[in-house]
Amino acid sequence: MRSQQVIEKLRSLRQYALEQSEAVEIQWDAEDSHMVRYANSAVSLNSHEDITRLRVTVYGDHRQASSSQVVDFDDMDDMKACVDRAIGMLPFASDMSYQPTIPDIAETTISEASYDPRIAALTNDEILAFVSEAAKGLETDDILLSGNFSSGITERAIISTKTPEVVYWRASDVGVTLVLASEKRKWEVNAEQFVAKKEDMDAKALHDRLAWLVELYNTKKETRVPEQPYRVVFGPAALATFVEFLGWIGYSGDSMKRGYGMFQEDDIGKQVMSEQFTLMEDPALLNTFAQPVDTYGRKREKQALIDRGVLKSFVWEQSSADEFGKEATGHDVSNLSIELLGGDVDVKTIQAFAKLPRDRDILYVPFMHYTNIVNPGEGLVTGTSRFGALLLKQDGSIELPYNVRFTERIGRLFSEKLVWLAKETVPYGSSSHYYGRDPYATLVPALACFDDVMVEISNESFG
Amino acid sequence: MTTDWKHQIKRLTDKGASYADVRYYPKEKEDALFMWNGNFLNFNRSELSGFGVRVLVDGAWGFAASSNLGDVTATFDRAFENAVSAAKRVGRPIRLADKELLSGRFDSPCEVDPFEVPLAEQVAFMKELDGYLNQPGVEQRRVQLSTVNKTIRYYDSEGAEIEKHIIDIFPSIHVSAFDSEGVQQGRKYLPPRLGPTRGWETMDRDHWKAEAERIVDEMKTMLSAPKCPEGRMSVILMPDMMFLQVHETIGHPLELDRILGYELSFAGGSFVRLEDFGQLQYGSKKLNARADATLINSPGSFGYDDDGVKAQDQMLIKEGILVGALTSRQMVTEANDKAGREIFKSSGGSCRACAFNRVPIERMTNINVDPGEDGTLEDIIRNTEQGVILSGEKSWSIGSNREQFHFSTDIGWLVEDGVKKHIVKNCAYSGMTLDFYRSLTAVGDASTWEVQYVDNCGKGVPGQVMQLGHGVPVCRFDHVKVGE
Repeated sequence: MRSQQVIEKLRSLRQYALEQSEAVEIQWDAEDSHMVRYANSAVSLNSHEDITRLRVTVYGDHRQASSSQVVDFDDMDDMKACVDRAIGMLPFASDMSYQPTIPDIAETTISEASYDPRIAALTNDEILAFVSEAAKGLETDDILLSGNFSSGITERAIISTKTPEVVYWRASDVGVTLVLASEKRKWEVNAEQFVAKKEDMDAKALHDRLAWLVELYNTKKETRVPEQPYRVVFGPAALATFVEFLGWIGYSGDSMKRGYGMFQEDDIGKQVMSEQFTLMEDPALLNTFAQPVDTYGRKREKQALIDRGVLKSFVWEQSSADEFGKEATGHDVSNLSIELLGGDVDVKTIQAFAKLPRDRDILYVPFMHYTNIVNPGEGLVTGTSRFGALLLKQDGSIELPYNVRFTERIGRLFSEKLVWLAKETVPYGSSSHYYGRDPYATLVPALACFDDVMVEISNESFG
Repeated sequence: MTTDWKHQIKRLTDKGASYADVRYYPKEKEDALFMWNGNFLNFNRSELSGFGVRVLVDGAWGFAASSNLGDVTATFDRAFENAVSAAKRVGRPIRLADKELLSGRFDSPCEVDPFEVPLAEQVAFMKELDGYLNQPGVEQRRVQLSTVNKTIRYYDSEGAEIEKHIIDIFPSIHVSAFDSEGVQQGRKYLPPRLGPTRGWETMDRDHWKAEAERIVDEMKTMLSAPKCPEGRMSVILMPDMMFLQVHETIGHPLELDRILGYELSFAGGSFVRLEDFGQLQYGSKKLNARADATLINSPGSFGYDDDGVKAQDQMLIKEGILVGALTSRQMVTEANDKAGREIFKSSGGSCRACAFNRVPIERMTNINVDPGEDGTLEDIIRNTEQGVILSGEKSWSIGSNREQFHFSTDIGWLVEDGVKKHIVKNCAYSGMTLDFYRSLTAVGDASTWEVQYVDNCGKGVPGQVMQLGHGVPVCRFDHVKVGE
C-alpha cells in the first residue's frame, strides 16, 4: 500500500525529529504529472514530472521557522537534512506576538475518494486519441488546435512530533483545455473539463461545445459592441473567477484582518449579496478534489459561508486564528471545496439558452481573462472577455463580439445586478499552480445572468 | 557527473534523437523571509536539486524531469519516449536555428553572497526597517526579503557545456491604512538596481531608512487626499510604474512563442503579426525599446539562455517601429518559415526555464526603454498642461492579445499648467496598447532612468515564475483615459 509506505517513512522522520528534542511539523507532498501540450494543431510538448517535496516547520516559544526541499523520497538522509536545516533556523526567527499552534493529529486518516489509478495509467496514445476525438473534423488550415491535457497524481501527508498519527490524501485529476483559434481572423473558442475519475472524461462533450462555437464563428457577423451597460450571461469559467475572488477578499478572516477584505467582522449576519446567492464549503463534494480532513487532523464539515445572501462566517486558518485570537474553523487545506448553489432556471448549456426567446440583447461571456483586483476593500475587479463570447440579439440572431473589458464590484454584481442562476452546477478548476500540481475545482451554476454590467472598453477587432 | 550527462545525451542521439539537452541543478537555495506587522509569517529556507531533459525526435519535443538522481537513465528514456509519442502528431517539424557553439561560465556580479550573511544580521536589518515603518497612522506594514543562490549546468548534443552561478536579492517594504471612506491606501518600495552588483552589498541602510520614511509620509498624506479626477489627460509614469507598463504591453506581446500561437491555451496571444516586423508603428518616434540581457546588475541577465545561446542586447522598437522580438532557436526558424522571409537572423537568447522541472520557453530578459531627450522629471512636468504623475503599481489586467490594459497605481500627483500639485488617491488608467504608445510625447533623460526588477512574472503551462528587469525612464503619454 502506497499510503502505508508514506506513513511509515514519515514516522521514521518524525522519530528523527523527536531525537532532536524539537516540536516539528512535517508536510510531505508528491506529484506524478503528465502534460501533453498542443499548439498549431500539433503536440508542442510532452512532459513528465516526478517530484517529491518536504516542508518542515519547527515551533519554538512564540517563534517558528521552516525549511522546504525537493527531496529524493528514497533518501532518508536527504530528508533528515531538511529537518536539520529548519531546526538550525529557529534560533534566528524573531519573536512573534502570538504562539503558533503545532498540529496535534488525533487519528490517522487516509483519504483516497478522489483517486483513480486508471488516470495514473493513461498512456500517450490514449491521450492523443481523446484529444483527436474532441477536435475531430474541426481543424482546418486556418483553424488550429491548441490545448493542455494535464493528468496526474497528487499526494499529501502531514505528521508532527505531537503524535505519530498522519493525515494522508491522494487524488488523481485530469484537466483538459482545448482551444480552436483562427490564425487569420484571430478569434478563439475553447472547451474545458476537470475530472477526478476516468469515466468522467468526455471527449464528446468537449467536441459538441467546440463544434457549436466553431460553426457560429465561421458563419456569424463579427461586431464591436458599443461601450454601454449590458445584460450579461456568464459561463462557468467566468463565474468561477468571480467566486474564487471571494476566497481571497471575501470570506477570508485573514484578509479581512489585514485590510484586504470587502467584508468586516460586523457584516456577519447582514445581507451582503442577493438572496439567490448561497455559498457552501462542503468537503463531501468529490468533484472539487475535496480534502475531508485538514492538516491539523480536523474532520471537516459542510458549512454555509454566505446563506441566501447573508454572511454567515469567515474562514479562519490556524495561523490566522492564532495571530488574531480566533478559533480555527477547520479549513487548513490547500483548497476549499466551494459551491455556489444553483438557482431556479433550468438551462444547462449556452446552446440551449441561445434557443430561448429574449426581450433584449444579451452578451454571453464564457471566460474572463487576467482578472485582477483594483481595490480589495470595495471588491472592485477588472478583466476582459475571452474564448467565444456571443452577442445574443433580441431578434434571435447571434453576432460575435470582440473582446470587452468589465470593471465591476463583486458585491454589487452578486446583489442588485444578479438576475438568475442556472439550476445545475458544474466544476471549473485547474490541475496545477505555478509551483506544483494542485488540483482544485469550484462548483458554479452552468450559467448566470446579470443586469447593468458596463462594457468599459470594447476592442476593435478579434486580434 | 559531467561524464554521465554527456553519456546519457549520446545514448539518446544514438537512439535517433536529433537533439538533446539537460539542465542539472546541483543545488538551488532560496530564503524567503516575510514579516507582517513585526511577525515573521514566513521564515523559510528551501533547497532543491534535480535535472530536466529535453529531447527532439522526428521534429517533436519530449521532456522529463526528476529530483531523483538515483535513476537518471529512466528519466532520459522517458523524455525520449515522450518525444516519440509527440512525433505522432507533428505539424511543422521543429528545427533549431544555428547557434555559435559555446562553452562557458557566467557568474552574476556579487560582492557578498546573502547566504554568507548570518541570518541574525538579516533579521536585524528587517526589524530595523520594520521599525521605520511602525509609525502612528500605519495600520499594516510588510518587510520582505527573498534571496537566491543557484548553480545550473547545461549540456547539449551539439557539444555545449555551460555553467551558470546566479545570486540575487529581492527586498521590498510596504505600508497601508484605511482612509476615511474605508478604502485601503498603500505605498511600497522595491529598490531599483542602483549599483553594478546583485548581492547583499546592495542593502544600504541609509538609503532604506530614507525610502521607508518617504513611503510612510506619502501613504499618510493619501489618507486625506482627494480622489484622482476622471477623464482624458496626460499621464506621467514614474519608473516604478513605467516598468510594468513596458512589461505587460511591450515585453509579453513581443514573445515570439505568443506571436506564433504557442500560449493560446493559457496566457494568450499577441496583437503582433509576423508581417508587422519592420513596419508596425508601435509607438511615437520617441519610443526606443530593447531586450538587453547584458545589463549586468539585473535579474534579467544570465549569461547564456537555456538553448545555450549567449546573452544579447538587441532592439525591439526603433524610433517607434517594431523591429525585434524575444526569441528562441525553435521559434525563429518557424517564424521565418511561416513569413517566407528572414525576419530573425538567429535566436536572441531569450529561452529560459524557471526551474529544472520546467521546459525552457521565451521569457523576457531586461526589456528597457532608452532614455530620451525631454529632460528631467521637472522638465517634463513643466511642459505638461493637465495631467497626473503616477507611481507604484497596484493592479494590472491586460487583454489576452495584449491589445488593451487597465492599471491602477498606489499614488498620483496632479499636474496643472506645468506645476506639480497635491497628491491624489485611487488612480487608475486604461487604454489600447498601440494608441497609448503612439501618444508618447515625452521621454525623460538618463537622470530619470532606473532598472526595476520583477520577481514574479508568470507564464506557461505548467506555470513558470521568472525574474527579470526593466530599465525605464520617466515617460509622458497624452490623452489617456484616467479613472476607475
